[in-house]
Amino acid sequence: MLYLDLTVTGLMTGVFYALMAIGLTLIFGILRVVNFAHGEFYMVGAYTYTLLSTALGVPVWLTLPAAVLVGAALGWVTERTLMRPLYAGYSSWGLMKDEYAIIVTFGLSLLLINLVDKVIGPYPYRGPELIDTARVHLGPVIADGHRLMATGLGVAVIAGVFAFMRFTVAGKQVQAVAQNRLGASLAGIDPGRVSAAVFAASGGLAAFAGGLLAPIINASPDVGVFTAVKSYVVVVLGGMGSVAGAVVAGLFLGVAESFGAVFISYGYRDTFGLVILILVLMFRPQGLFGEKGRSV
Amino acid sequence: MFKFKHLGMGAALAGAALALTGTAAAQDSGPVKIGAIFSQSPPGSVVQGTQVKAGLEIARDMLNEQGGILGRKVELVMEDGQGLPEKGRSAAEKLITRDGVVAITGEHQSSNVLAEIEVAKRYNIPYVNTNGWSDAIREKGYRQVFNPANYNTRVSQAMASVLADMDVDSVVTFAENTDYGIGQAELLGKYLAEKAPDIDFRYETLDRQSKDFMPAVLPLKANPPDVVVNILLPPAAYILMNQLYEQGVAPSATTWLYDGAGLADYPDFWDNVGEAGRTLLEFGLYHPAMSMPPLGEKVSEAYTERYGKEPNRLIFQAADSLFLLAEAMNRAGTTDADPVIETLQGIEYTGTRGTITFSDEPGYSFQQWLEVPFVTYQLTETGQPVSEAPLVQKAGQSLDPDLLVRPGD
Repeated sequence: MLYLDLTVTGLMTGVFYALMAIGLTLIFGILRVVNFAHGEFYMVGAYTYTLLSTALGVPVWLTLPAAVLVGAALGWVTERTLMRPLYAGYSSWGLMKDEYAIIVTFGLSLLLINLVDKVIGPYPYRGPELIDTARVHLGPVIADGHRLMATGLGVAVIAGVFAFMRFTVAGKQVQAVAQNRLGASLAGIDPGRVSAAVFAASGGLAAFAGGLLAPIINASPDVGVFTAVKSYVVVVLGGMGSVAGAVVAGLFLGVAESFGAVFISYGYRDTFGLVILILVLMFRPQGLFGEKGRSV
Repeated sequence: MFKFKHLGMGAALAGAALALTGTAAAQDSGPVKIGAIFSQSPPGSVVQGTQVKAGLEIARDMLNEQGGILGRKVELVMEDGQGLPEKGRSAAEKLITRDGVVAITGEHQSSNVLAEIEVAKRYNIPYVNTNGWSDAIREKGYRQVFNPANYNTRVSQAMASVLADMDVDSVVTFAENTDYGIGQAELLGKYLAEKAPDIDFRYETLDRQSKDFMPAVLPLKANPPDVVVNILLPPAAYILMNQLYEQGVAPSATTWLYDGAGLADYPDFWDNVGEAGRTLLEFGLYHPAMSMPPLGEKVSEAYTERYGKEPNRLIFQAADSLFLLAEAMNRAGTTDADPVIETLQGIEYTGTRGTITFSDEPGYSFQQWLEVPFVTYQLTETGQPVSEAPLVQKAGQSLDPDLLVRPGD
């Protein structure tokens, strides 16, 4: 029974790792930068969901899409105002000063944490649950009703992202820009618009995860910091820029942590991912699903 | 030219000397500056920091209304310790060397206190520990450091007594991975072994920044202990409580949940735990049913008037920290460190929570107020304010097991 419990719990955790990591890996695929404020998009989603419901009384099924919209808007504004100046004017992608992106997004992360701390306050807020069922018994496994619902929605959105990337023209445009920005622009695709859209989608996905988990994680100013660290591990593990890799690595990390915490030591739980990461980088540096090299 | 150079240097030195004399004169006649370090931003406990700030400000205002210290106004120079020892250390350094504070107080996280007292010792500045519970702070034996706050040994002894009186067989403790959490869990095991050697005790450390404790909770489902003890601070403690409740581990018909971190008097407690908090047993350093000196009543009234809610222990602890320093300076007739430290060593002062004296016994009791009052109460209803929670162990008495409400009743 414990094995089943751990597997189910690990997979549930993994779905949220994957949801967070997909947005991060999409940004890396398109812009070749790491967004260090990704955890704060998640935090903003958790607060939006919670405060709209508890302070303004908006129904939870409306606050969830509202959280996505706010996260997407934040992502879009970030790309337009902070990211775009970094590569504007450069005809070659290779000249982009991506080291500035690290500093800018890190600064944005600190700004958002402290802004929320001062404006909303330091106290954690627990979001309302999507369904009012405290415990659901699935055979020997007990799960919170909200957690089950959130996991189901998370899986649905991940499937939606795959379908979008594979079957829509816009998804193919994203892939084209990821493969060759200059080539894509010669084919009539506007890389700037795609970049902004991907940043918005990334912000929306992170905020969606934050909103879904708000009743479990209790929104607080630094709620995204730890989750973001896990997302970075998942992205590198899965292969930077690979959506499929992010999903597989997220689920794998969730289950590995779950079992490792019980059968090795809970104290080392957060190091398992890093150990796996080091092993993968030693024997498969491009990650599980990454490409060995990209050259144009 | 040579002479001019020397003249210039002499003038500069004279100017500097005048400026320093002027500063010293200004410090003697200006406000008495007391440094206050607490968490104003994450990852420190900003919730605690906010309460400490409120308590210090109330005490400052009350002191200033009564003439301040030695006839001079009290000024709090506040710094953000961020719950990070390196930040606390640099804050203490800045307060002493740049701001010229005559004493430091306010810190509420043990790891930070341990860093800051090194600076206080180096500069020989009185340091009043507001809420660092770790015994290691006392065991350093620094003459500059005074502890009117609670301490791990006190909590562990109290909790061990309560657990022994509950007549249980097994206890699992979850402690945060800090000096405070690990120290308290180890002491609880030690005192439980003395008071109730038959109780099967073990503890697990959890990362206070984590948002998922399921792997620690799930193994308890198959073999639930009689009591789960919490030694984590919010927000991690809230998440742990919700996950214990979600999995049906505790509180449940078979397992009590016992908190040693004072969660129930946090203003956001019920908003974050809901049903998971019902029947929680709580170690409490403040309960309105406890008898309190007149100064405590005044601080309580001032807090309620200013913030519109019930005070909690941190308000009184912070106020006592500042009142003690003020009293010592007034009695010593100076703000100079050595006379103030000597006065504090022999002080007998009735603050907000009782009459405070400091032990000179080495170890955990060094310069510690040993008789910090405590009670145990139980939250019998969801959303119940602390003032309405029944006491199951009154100050200075043993637990009355007949008063306990079984989870599931």
